[in-house]
Amino acid sequence: MFKRTLATAAVLALGAGTAFAHVSLQLKEAPVGSTYRAIFQVPHGCEGKPTLTVRVQIPEGVIAVKPQPKAGWTLEKVKGAYANSYDYYGTPTSEGVKEVVWSGGNLADDEYDEFVVRAYLTKDLKAGETLYFPVVQECPDGMAERWIEIPAEGQSADDLELPAPGVKLLEAAGGH
Amino acid sequence: MLIPNRSLGRPGIVAFLAGILWCCLAGMALAHASLTAAVPPDGAVVGAPPKTLSLSFSEPVSPLVLKLILPDGQARALDGFVLRDTTLEIAAPDDLGPGTHVLTWRVVSEDGHPVAGSTIFSIGAPGTAPQAAAEAIDWPVRSALWLAKVVTYAGLCFGIGGVFAARWLIVNEGGGPRLVGAATWTGLGATVLSLGLQGLDALGAPLAGLLDPAVWKAGFATSFGATVAVLSVAFCLAVVAGRSGSAVLNRTASLAALVAGCVALALSGHASAAAPQWLTRPAVFVHALTIAIWVGALLPLASALRRDKDAGRRALGRFSRLIPFCVALLVLAGLLLAVIQVREPAALLSTAYGNVLLAKTGLLAVLFGLVAVNRWMLTGPAARGGRKAVRRLFRAVVVETLIVVAIFAVAATWRFTPPPRALAVAAAQPATVHIHSDKAMVEVTVAPGRAGPVEISAVLLGADFNPLNAKEVTFVLSNAQAGVEPMRRKAQLQTDGTWKARDVVIPLAGQWQVRIDVLVGDFELLRLQEAIEVQP
Repeated sequence: MFKRTLATAAVLALGAGTAFAHVSLQLKEAPVGSTYRAIFQVPHGCEGKPTLTVRVQIPEGVIAVKPQPKAGWTLEKVKGAYANSYDYYGTPTSEGVKEVVWSGGNLADDEYDEFVVRAYLTKDLKAGETLYFPVVQECPDGMAERWIEIPAEGQSADDLELPAPGVKLLEAAGGH
Repeated sequence: MLIPNRSLGRPGIVAFLAGILWCCLAGMALAHASLTAAVPPDGAVVGAPPKTLSLSFSEPVSPLVLKLILPDGQARALDGFVLRDTTLEIAAPDDLGPGTHVLTWRVVSEDGHPVAGSTIFSIGAPGTAPQAAAEAIDWPVRSALWLAKVVTYAGLCFGIGGVFAARWLIVNEGGGPRLVGAATWTGLGATVLSLGLQGLDALGAPLAGLLDPAVWKAGFATSFGATVAVLSVAFCLAVVAGRSGSAVLNRTASLAALVAGCVALALSGHASAAAPQWLTRPAVFVHALTIAIWVGALLPLASALRRDKDAGRRALGRFSRLIPFCVALLVLAGLLLAVIQVREPAALLSTAYGNVLLAKTGLLAVLFGLVAVNRWMLTGPAARGGRKAVRRLFRAVVVETLIVVAIFAVAATWRFTPPPRALAVAAAQPATVHIHSDKAMVEVTVAPGRAGPVEISAVLLGADFNPLNAKEVTFVLSNAQAGVEPMRRKAQLQTDGTWKARDVVIPLAGQWQVRIDVLVGDFELLRLQEAIEVQP
């Protein structure tokens, strides 16, 4: 009985194409040395409360960040120095957007939305690894959902209660 | 896009398709439904047993495990439930009693990732699990311990105290009547024997274990070991003081025996263990000393009154001048100890220790009544040589002696009744655990460390031993053995820098996993976990 429910649920989930209960990235794989469209899918709020703010932390090695504005939300780009200097088509860059904040919106607990950032994945990132973008959803009364856990060595995202959304890094596409 | 409909829904095909799709999903992180509401709410105290329980989630879920853990630790599976949209309505068992219940759940949401948690509610008032069956009492060992204690007290007072009275109060009386010598020897025997009995009690061994040297060793290792050693020396000194030829030696030895005997009593026992020790130990010493002087004088005095009228009358005079001071000190020290030990007047009735104290006080009242009659009505005429008065006084002294023995018998039962002070200390003892990771360390305290309403607090330090500033701290408690899935409680930052969660109810005793989720920054979470033992 349970297995059937599970199977049906899984099929339905994929059929619908969207149903993830925690914040996740729609595109699961991307090559390093390329521009990546990070689509954050926000499926619910905090224990019944609506989401008012979505904050995304940009990991080291991700540069040339351009978030997509959203109607009804105020967009803020928190800039700062990177830990290292990265090569962007021959030009070294050592500072840029480190956090993106969409605030002032109101996404009800039973509604779904997507938040998009376009960014360049530098070649300093290692192909084969997973790159994590910690996300925080802020709700009224100081409540928050924090998808910020990154698996330690030997752990998988399944072991975590609050896994950060991740993208699997692939080898740089050759021939450019 | 594949959108299966119901008519296609043959389980085999669906499962097959699902299998293929699962493979495509390799590397995908799984979903997490979250609890949005519970009825009764988590931590609630309700007046009447609820008829239905409900759990609401952020999305529809299917339960894998639904259990209600009753106040006695029994788990009851909950089979009757319906899912209405995102709310799981569960029929509650209809025989719920008062106490704290844990509704523990493990559900699967859309993608099949199980999530689990627990909510607790109390019917009537938050309760603790019923106490485990009382420890079996080994009555032969207990009776022997008690008897040895009574004989030791009698030996100290009638024997050592008797020799002291004979040597210092009643001149020309020799070592005192034979009864004094007998009390000394039996006291010595009982003292030595009680070492073995104490060992039996410490190891939980039966009476036959007295032949085992390990039992005696264990007895000596307790705080009672020192008492036995010093008391044995005191009894030996009393034997010397009763028989040696030298008057100076007799007097010195009897005084040394008295002091050593009373010091011995102050070395162990409930009263000596109480704080402040600078006060309680001297109080025990004074209490024992004054009893020994007073009670010790009874036998030699009676004997002297009967045998040598003149010497007896002189002794009686000295006795009646000295004893009021003795009794005053005795009562003062006794009251002081009683106040420290009992703490609240209510404990006199509610605890075994208090009951013993009441019984002892009752016997003391009778004794003091008798003493007062002797002092004001018989002593005067007897000292003047009234024959009838002397006989009556002799009888009164015998009765007093018997009452004193009865008081010893009552006081010896204290060996088995922890005082309210100790009970309160044991109950309030917090459970603590230190958890260390490479990024932080935390000292977690659950107070009191027993099942029921508790307060959990945590002191956070960074790996460099400096205080760690956190944005948020959450305590997560689970008990896999009892089947309790994680319960979360948010902590509040106190002005002294500790994080505290009040009104947490730990429903069951046993080993709990306590996890501290420390939010260091908006995007950084530390988790520290350790086991902690919760007493019933």
